[in-house]
Amino acid sequence: MTLSSPKSRFGMARYRWLNTVVILGSVLHCLLLLPARLPGMELLGVTPNWLLVWVVAWSLKRNQWESAIAGLTLGLLQDAMTSPYPTHTIGLVLVALLTNRIQKQRFIQEDFISVAIIVFGMVVLAQTTIAFQVTLHKLLQPQSLYPAFTAIWQQHQRIVLSSAILTSLWAPVLYYPLNQWWRYFAQRTAPPVNSQNPL
Amino acid sequence: MFALRQWWSRYALRASLLALALASAWSIYRLNAAPIYEIYRWMTLPLQPGPSRAEILESSAAQELRQRIIELEIQNRTLREAVAANSTTDQQGIPAAVIGRSASDWWQQLVLSRGSRDGVEIGDIVAGPGGLVGRIVAVSPSSSRVLLISDTTSRVGARVSRSRATGYVRGQAGQQLIMEFFDKMPEVEVGDVIVTSAYSQLFPEGMAIGRVVELDLSKSPAPEVTLELSAPLNVVEWVEIIPFDAQQATPSEPNDASSEPSEQFSQPGQP
Repeated sequence: MTLSSPKSRFGMARYRWLNTVVILGSVLHCLLLLPARLPGMELLGVTPNWLLVWVVAWSLKRNQWESAIAGLTLGLLQDAMTSPYPTHTIGLVLVALLTNRIQKQRFIQEDFISVAIIVFGMVVLAQTTIAFQVTLHKLLQPQSLYPAFTAIWQQHQRIVLSSAILTSLWAPVLYYPLNQWWRYFAQRTAPPVNSQNPL
Repeated sequence: MFALRQWWSRYALRASLLALALASAWSIYRLNAAPIYEIYRWMTLPLQPGPSRAEILESSAAQELRQRIIELEIQNRTLREAVAANSTTDQQGIPAAVIGRSASDWWQQLVLSRGSRDGVEIGDIVAGPGGLVGRIVAVSPSSSRVLLISDTTSRVGARVSRSRATGYVRGQAGQQLIMEFFDKMPEVEVGDVIVTSAYSQLFPEGMAIGRVVELDLSKSPAPEVTLELSAPLNVVEWVEIIPFDAQQATPSEPNDASSEPSEQFSQPGQP
């Protein structure tokens, strides 16, 4: 990567900048979609978990550190937009690491169906970590304002089902362009010698 | 050491970019996502409801007025007996459009189009067409976030306006709420109007919350009823932000024998 002609180095720098813009732009786009309620994106008051789709798309092509930090970053951003407890960071970091693991094991192909299935499972995982945190808060804090356990897990069930269906159906909308771009970016910037970004 | 240097020369850029991403996420976290909500507010500007604002407020205020009349009649009777009462709420609300909803499925929140630049502060009360909606929990320069009373962590001190039986209302993440009574045998019927009580420190007294639709008085440990919110939270487009200072609220209501002091019932918000 470091040894290249001035011309291609210029090209690489340009692609790097473009990649940064794509990454930041897509994250911002996801963040702005979170409070919006567009027609077709709402099922029983639940909306797609865009940040989770982003984390899955990102983690399928990165090493585990990059995946985990992306999960943490986006978790912090989502916490900022809602409230600090229960936190989304745990769920998203777990999702990032697990997706990374699955990709390493070559269990999956990178097509729509597999990604939709991964996203479905990951939504269940992420929502369950939140439900666990709520349950823990209820168990440990005598003054907890959360409802009874049955109510928490009923809410969990309702959210998980609609969120998982909706998110996995909408996942390709975000995954496809990001994946195409990263594939193109990797082709353009890294000759096959670089094993850090396996495609 | 050599390995470390080699690692650094190889991954310096990547590591510092990740650290930068993490640091900026942290600063946005500390700012309660104010920059994101600012951008969101400006991007949704063309979509915000505009012309029919006045008529929506007017037509939907009718139901609230009807409930308030009942409340005022009863209050009037009480005031005649106890003369020293000064609990008229002078409501000079700031009208605000609902531009968004909760950014995650576990919360019941609204995003409003007015912020600290318009004088909105954390702790202000939000009333919609029909009655109480929630409470401001976060403010950015031109938007603010409301925790709805239907959130599962919301607690509002409330009473039946007809019989003055007190209790607290908790959210259920939907249009229906549960009210638990402090009294073992509360006087309540289907159709009764529930209003905020003077024991609530975070809400002004006498705001309409909803109407009783179902009774479960044999429930243990406390009898409870289900109420239907009078403000339609899932379709509400315009609300009013009412400035409210929690400290100045003093209970102006004569003590009910049935009520017991409780810490939890007037602390809605984030745990």
